[in-house]
Amino acid sequence: MQIQYRHWNAAHGWRGGNALREPPQLVLYFGSREGLAGGERYRELRNFYPDSHVVGCSTGGQIHGDDIADDVIVAVALHFATTQVRVVNETIESRAASRLCGMRFARQLAAPDLAGVFVLSEGLSVNGSELIAGMTEVLGPDVLVTGGLAGDGTRMEQTLVGADGEPQPNRIAAIGFYGASFRFAHGCAGGWDVFGPRRKVTKSDGPVVLELDGEPPVDLYTRYLGEEEAAAMPGSGLAFPLRIHDEAEPERQIVRSVFAVDRDAGTLTFGGDIPEGCTAQLMRANFDSLAAGAGEAGRQARNALADEIAGDKLAILVSCTGRRKVMGQRTQDELDAVAAELGDDVTRIGFYSYGEIAPPAATGRCELHNQTMTVTVIAEAAA
Amino acid sequence: MTMHRLLARQLRQSTDESGQVDMTRLVELVSAAYEESDRDRRRTDRAIKLMIEELEQTHKRAEQDLLRAREFLDSIIENIPIAVFAKDARDSRYILLNRAGEEYYGMPREEMLGKTPEQLFPDDIARVVHEQDRRVVDSGTPMVLEGHLLEVGVHGHDRVVNSRKLLVRDGNGAPQYLVGVIEDVTERITNEARISHLAHHDALTDLPNRSAFNEALTERLEHAQEASTSFAVLSLDLDRFKDVNDVFGHPVGDMMMRAAAERLVTEADGAFVARIGGDEFMILMPDDIRREDVLSLAERLVEAIGTELEVDDYLSHVGLSVGIAVYPDDGVDAATLLANADSALYRAKREGRGRVCFFETEMDRELRDRRLLQHDLRQAMEQNQLLVYFQPQARMDGEIIGFEALVRWNHPTRGFVPPDQFIPLAEENGLIIEIGEWVLREACREAASWPRPLQVAVNLSPVQFQAGDLERSIHQILLETGLAPTRLEVEITEGVLIGDFTRALSLLRRLKALGIRIAMDDFGTGYSSLSYLQSFPFDKIKIDRSFILNLEATPQSAEIVRAVLSLAHALQIPVVAEGVETEAQRAFLEGEACEEMQGYLIGRPEPIERYFDLIGINVERRRYA
Repeated sequence: MQIQYRHWNAAHGWRGGNALREPPQLVLYFGSREGLAGGERYRELRNFYPDSHVVGCSTGGQIHGDDIADDVIVAVALHFATTQVRVVNETIESRAASRLCGMRFARQLAAPDLAGVFVLSEGLSVNGSELIAGMTEVLGPDVLVTGGLAGDGTRMEQTLVGADGEPQPNRIAAIGFYGASFRFAHGCAGGWDVFGPRRKVTKSDGPVVLELDGEPPVDLYTRYLGEEEAAAMPGSGLAFPLRIHDEAEPERQIVRSVFAVDRDAGTLTFGGDIPEGCTAQLMRANFDSLAAGAGEAGRQARNALADEIAGDKLAILVSCTGRRKVMGQRTQDELDAVAAELGDDVTRIGFYSYGEIAPPAATGRCELHNQTMTVTVIAEAAA
Repeated sequence: MTMHRLLARQLRQSTDESGQVDMTRLVELVSAAYEESDRDRRRTDRAIKLMIEELEQTHKRAEQDLLRAREFLDSIIENIPIAVFAKDARDSRYILLNRAGEEYYGMPREEMLGKTPEQLFPDDIARVVHEQDRRVVDSGTPMVLEGHLLEVGVHGHDRVVNSRKLLVRDGNGAPQYLVGVIEDVTERITNEARISHLAHHDALTDLPNRSAFNEALTERLEHAQEASTSFAVLSLDLDRFKDVNDVFGHPVGDMMMRAAAERLVTEADGAFVARIGGDEFMILMPDDIRREDVLSLAERLVEAIGTELEVDDYLSHVGLSVGIAVYPDDGVDAATLLANADSALYRAKREGRGRVCFFETEMDRELRDRRLLQHDLRQAMEQNQLLVYFQPQARMDGEIIGFEALVRWNHPTRGFVPPDQFIPLAEENGLIIEIGEWVLREACREAASWPRPLQVAVNLSPVQFQAGDLERSIHQILLETGLAPTRLEVEITEGVLIGDFTRALSLLRRLKALGIRIAMDDFGTGYSSLSYLQSFPFDKIKIDRSFILNLEATPQSAEIVRAVLSLAHALQIPVVAEGVETEAQRAFLEGEACEEMQGYLIGRPEPIERYFDLIGINVERRRYA
């Protein structure tokens, strides 16, 4: 596999590394919603790579190498020696259609030599858990699915996804990788700790929590954030995700971030369904624990990667916007931690997302997460 | 000097390609980083503070919940009527005692808590308690003692308790507490015994009841079969006890019954005496007792009961009849033995009461025959087997003044059944009420049709007086048949008055008020209490046939007849002599100024057709009319 890395900014336009000897099969790009809106950047990339699949999304910040940037658009063009790539995409009509959409994707991608799937999905109106559940239901537990939900800074207004077309709202794309030599490694970790008493979700409707211990959840978050920070919800609410306890499967880590707030109703909308009657507990983190969590994800991915790799290795880092919100300038620390684990020979690209997709080490089941760092490493084995 | 990673990064970000540091940019970054750190610290501080508050609240709530749960359980433990205690498993010091426990031990908990059994109880008891405690602690298995006598406490040794003691371990599995419960089951055991006693004893006399007797008999049979011994079963019946109840009322009757039962038990000399209902008793005699001993015991019983009973100033005479069946001669199973003892009893009663009879095979047949007859009698009415015969009554000069109506039963296979056989049967099963009414109606209907206005006399049974509305039924029959009440005479025996005297008297008065004449029948037999004659103005006295029959044979009979006649005359009551068969008897009675007579000399009881001439019917005319 060979990688060509490019980046764009308003001052100097596109700049990039060495031209590929052969045209790439796949181009991935990430940028801010403003940067991608209008489709200009997509058209430029399409010009560079007329025969490639070009897939990208809006983010809460782009990761390129050791840095985070909001005003830079990053792209990688990948040429595979033997791996085949197929891209499917769809505009989703409603949140309720998420599972069926996942099942349709899976049926279109399914093949005996399907070696992995990377998903880029609209980040606000899709039910990510159901989307992934629909895919794994068809593909079975052995096909790895990773990816992330597109972001919109900390505004949470609109996200864009494009697949062989201009980036658009409500779009979902999935990339299938085929062939025996394709290598797909991943890691997924958080670094958050639960704190405070366990609370009962006394009233909820899908991802909307109406009552926690009989109290409007906005009141609880306002108390913990303080009036000043609470005014910045939902963004500031990312500092306190909720750990959901699944009594049937205590090992399962379900973490949900605040995505929207309705101050009049006193309700909060989270990044995934929260069943009524379940137990929830606030989580918090500090700079060091989050960086350590990211390092753990990097270590898992590196350990999962086989040795005999030919050519370049690409690490796609999908980290949660909530983490960046908490870490501020220290966000760099988590990228450093991943880099330290992966080593210098892995090209790193990625974005801050509204949801991460990967199987966590504890269960091995592909799921949607909030507040994690997920690392997906793509490579090809030596022939 | 090592520079902080973040500062190094900030410096790098503030330095341009020429190596020039943009101080403004650097200050911005550093300030922002401080701000971020401050915010993070504030957020963390606030979160920790809130979390502590919340955890404290949760803790307090949990404590309150725990306290409430504890109070709830405490109030249950405090109020259950079972003694509960807890001790330290190591040294058996009491650490908990409820109210019932205080009562059980007879001391307030303040005196017990914190002390060991050795400090509280006498040495011997403390030793036992200590051993039990150690055994439970060492083995870990609960100790359960059921129905043992109280060993400590103020109640003394008259309480029976169930107790159990069990070990409670701490979180590490080490023995922590000994918990004990002690339940006073004295009342329960007493109640169980009382219920069992009630189930097997007669409430009035406290003698074993029928069910207890049956059990004893079964047991005795088994034993006798194994040991090849014999034994006797006595069936006893108090004679005339019903009269006691009728005359004195049930409260006195009950006392009399208890007194009679006591006499039976005293005389029975250890034999098993049971009251099996009403005025019936059974006695089970010991094994291998000789026939003559059984007989002499039975006779002693008859004698004892026959002696006047005196209860609360009430005096009463009852009698006892006894039937005896002997195993194995008279039966080898309970049912046969009982049936045969009953047969013997029946014979004893029939032979005049106050008697003792051993069972004989003959009796068995008699008894069955009697039951058969009783059964047939029910059908007799429906199938017109009953007939009314008429026997003429006359003045001493032979002038017919009326007839006595007498019921006869023409049985389809047996022929005519004597009235003294079937009337008692009908009285026994109450059929006499129906039969009596039918006879009355037939007699009145017949008499009403006679050309000559002769008297018609009808017998009324005591049973008819006791049950039903006799007055209304007589009134109804008179209306129906159109017979003038003055032509009807009812004959009663003193048995009518022996029962409910007041009621019978009032009924007689009402009948007399209708114009009906009342005759005292069978006078001279039974009690023949003169007080009866005094209490009611009888229209006639009938001297029993037995005296007339013996007029010539025994001088006493003549004297009695003479005395009755002179008494009646003194009271101005006319007398009818029954059973007059000879001219000599008639002459004697005429000589003594007897007013009327009845008997074969005048005419036998016959269908009325035989007496058409006497009632004024021209036979020829009637035949062809």
